[in-house]
Amino acid sequence: MTSRSYSSLITHYSLLITKFMTPERWQTVEETLQAALDCPASQRADLLAKACAGDADLQRETTSLLEAHEAAGDFLEQSALERDAQLLIDSDDRQTRAGTAIGPYEIIERLGGGGMGEVYLARDQRLARLVALKILPAYFVSDAERLRRFQIEARAASALNHANILTVYEFGESDDTHYIATEYIDGRTIRELIAGESLTIADTFDIAGQLLHGLSAAHAAGIVHRDIKPDNVMRRKDGEIKILDFGIAKLIEDANSDVSLLTSRATSRTEVGAVLGTIGYVSPEQARGLAVDERTDIWSAGVVLYEMLAGRRPFSGATNADTIVSILERTPAPLFGDEPKARPLKMLQRIVGKALSKDAGARYQTAAEMLSDLTEVETEMAAGSRKNGGINAETTLVELRELAEVRASASRFALSIATLAVLALVVIAGTVLYRRSVARRSIPPPVPTVYAQMNEAQQLQFINEQEQRVSAMMGERPVKLNDEALRAIKVVVDRYMAPPQPGEPSLSEIYARAPAYLPVIANEFNARRIPIVVGIYLPVIESAYQPCFENVAGAKGLFQFMPATAEHYGVARADMCDVNKMAPAAAHYIADRMAELGDDSQSMTLVLLSYNRGAQSVLEELRLLRETDVHYERNFWTLYANRDKLDQTFRNESAYYVPAFFAAAIIGENPTAFGLNMQPLSTQVPNRER
Amino acid sequence: MLRFEVNFVDVLPMMALATESELTSLLDDWKHGDPSALQKLTPIIYDELRRIAHRYARRERNGHTLQTTALINEAYVRLAGEESRDWQNRQHFFAVTAQVMRHILIDHARRRRSLKHGGDAAQVSLDEATAMTNERAAELIALDEALAELAALDPRKSQVVQLRYFAGLSLEETAEALAVSLMTVRRDWRAAKAWLYKRVMSNE
Repeated sequence: MTSRSYSSLITHYSLLITKFMTPERWQTVEETLQAALDCPASQRADLLAKACAGDADLQRETTSLLEAHEAAGDFLEQSALERDAQLLIDSDDRQTRAGTAIGPYEIIERLGGGGMGEVYLARDQRLARLVALKILPAYFVSDAERLRRFQIEARAASALNHANILTVYEFGESDDTHYIATEYIDGRTIRELIAGESLTIADTFDIAGQLLHGLSAAHAAGIVHRDIKPDNVMRRKDGEIKILDFGIAKLIEDANSDVSLLTSRATSRTEVGAVLGTIGYVSPEQARGLAVDERTDIWSAGVVLYEMLAGRRPFSGATNADTIVSILERTPAPLFGDEPKARPLKMLQRIVGKALSKDAGARYQTAAEMLSDLTEVETEMAAGSRKNGGINAETTLVELRELAEVRASASRFALSIATLAVLALVVIAGTVLYRRSVARRSIPPPVPTVYAQMNEAQQLQFINEQEQRVSAMMGERPVKLNDEALRAIKVVVDRYMAPPQPGEPSLSEIYARAPAYLPVIANEFNARRIPIVVGIYLPVIESAYQPCFENVAGAKGLFQFMPATAEHYGVARADMCDVNKMAPAAAHYIADRMAELGDDSQSMTLVLLSYNRGAQSVLEELRLLRETDVHYERNFWTLYANRDKLDQTFRNESAYYVPAFFAAAIIGENPTAFGLNMQPLSTQVPNRER
Repeated sequence: MLRFEVNFVDVLPMMALATESELTSLLDDWKHGDPSALQKLTPIIYDELRRIAHRYARRERNGHTLQTTALINEAYVRLAGEESRDWQNRQHFFAVTAQVMRHILIDHARRRRSLKHGGDAAQVSLDEATAMTNERAAELIALDEALAELAALDPRKSQVVQLRYFAGLSLEETAEALAVSLMTVRRDWRAAKAWLYKRVMSNE
């Protein structure tokens, strides 16, 4: 008998059993099973014999379930999505693990990805330069002719060699993987800049101006982008605007018109948007599926300009279909109210209105025309500040929108009583209203005090405030953390807040361990004039406050010393679990690192970093930075912001060390905000003296 | 040298993802009897899952495990648009989510199996996108069938499994969602697991 037919026999047998199993019978079986599971394994056989007296089937069924229970192990313990997420990561990793070579490129890390393919930071080994490597999904490149047309177009745009158009270095293929290597941009997308809410009017002019410059050059060469949107435009750190992805939109359109793809990816042009991106930026002619020319890019540039100014999209709807209807039929809400008083606002309104004409013939016919009108507004704004109602280039867009709202209500009022005298009053009313509106805005809606209930912006704000508090406790000179730094802390906070993995201690368990060790830690750190907050929270990130924890590398104890280091600081291998020996060693170790750091030890964040990886390497990083033109405050955050210029060691491990410390301290100092039932750890230190 | 300012939390969104309202309307379409809505949801869900998974994977200091609980929560909340929908209560939310997730995964697994030999280009690309292997598809289908049988014998146990496996709920959350004691869920879970394991293995 082959094993195949044997196993199908079992299947039939088992099906038979299942078939005859009734809910009532199952109830009996389950009761027996549960009783057996409740008693010690050694007594199960007896129990079964008794419980199943005279019912051999019951005994057999229960026994096989007991065996299944033993064998099941972690069966189903990982949820379906968890499993799939792991599969996704594994499969992506297999394809493009860091260090993998794709053609001449060595993958460094993944930058992002989506419908158009994954993008990686990679190094061109021939030229030792960094590139952004976009891997095209197989379904986009299955047609050789389509791919060829795409390459021609993308190459043509790149060949313009225009400052505002992303340079394409190379198209390539390696083991059936098609890729595009492009210039690597150190910056942010306009989408991110809009979300950051810090754009000024001057920024908007600058971005729109450069965007139009780039488009103008492309259009002159007969190349239409077709997918201008805030995600496809980046601002480099030095302010240069780059338009990404010429040619891609066309490729996607072509690919999606292929019948073979319609079944799963999308069923109509409309839904292409749902899967691939956002429909809000397409022109009416695009939405209708008509032929497009450069004026479609003018429309999309108008949408982007509108969104930058207003902070919202001109056309949107609950569904894609609604958005399309809005694009085809609706006039967007005026940018600055019905009748903006300030001339520049009026001019801007007109420019955006013209770019967003449904009829392509009524739009700006060239990017240059639109650019010229924009430049005029810019000049106007720079020149006559009196007429402009206090609006100038440095006005942030958020302020501008508030002003516009006030004006809108003021001008409606003005219409009903149309006399000059009253107009004067309106100005006053406007001012009062503005003040009031500012006052109203300055009373924010009640912010939740529990971290988990805050939205992301509130969480970042909270972390911002608390970082400053902890910094002050550390004696750190106050610096303003940028968004990226705050997010680095937030990542760790969120990780701590996530339910623990099986076998991991919970957050409250970790913090509950601390008080027992606080007296000795405080004593030793005080004695060496090191801020005790450092001593309190280092063990959280080092050993989760487990006095005898040993990591895979062999570091051990509350403060995680390597045995040789411990010995050097007078702690024998056998004593590494002893906090009374480890705490003074840790304080001593830190004091030595501070001595090595010299002046730089005034920054406690640098001291923390040197705890993680030695003072010499920190000094080396600082020296590297000094060679560049960085003039920031010397502290960890400076290193963090410039970590691309530093070595790999810094990036991988140390980049998270100090953020992790702050996360631990922020949680420990705000227990109620994080659902911990305890006092802030720093207040639990007996006889606090500094 | 220039490089992206890589924020390990939010990498550059090269492509905006489907908005919540788009997800919601697809879910509504499906509930109102449009089976193709489920197929359109699949790539979106997996794109989302991949994005979140990578983000969390990067957070792990040593990169060996995935911080999955948070991941699942985020995926579900986005999928279901928790805030934007009229859930009668938390229980209702989880029950619906688990059911939807089960349908999406099983539907995808079944189509994968049935189309495997047809060489359907779209399916191949979708498989690539979802990293679903033959083994995984078979595993899901076998589990789905066994779960249907269990539902006939013992509806609550099949509910427990559905919530735990397809909605990623912990034992505690499952107890809350079903309004039963933790002890009951624990016992249901171990019995259901043994029963399903036996059932699925006998089919291998």
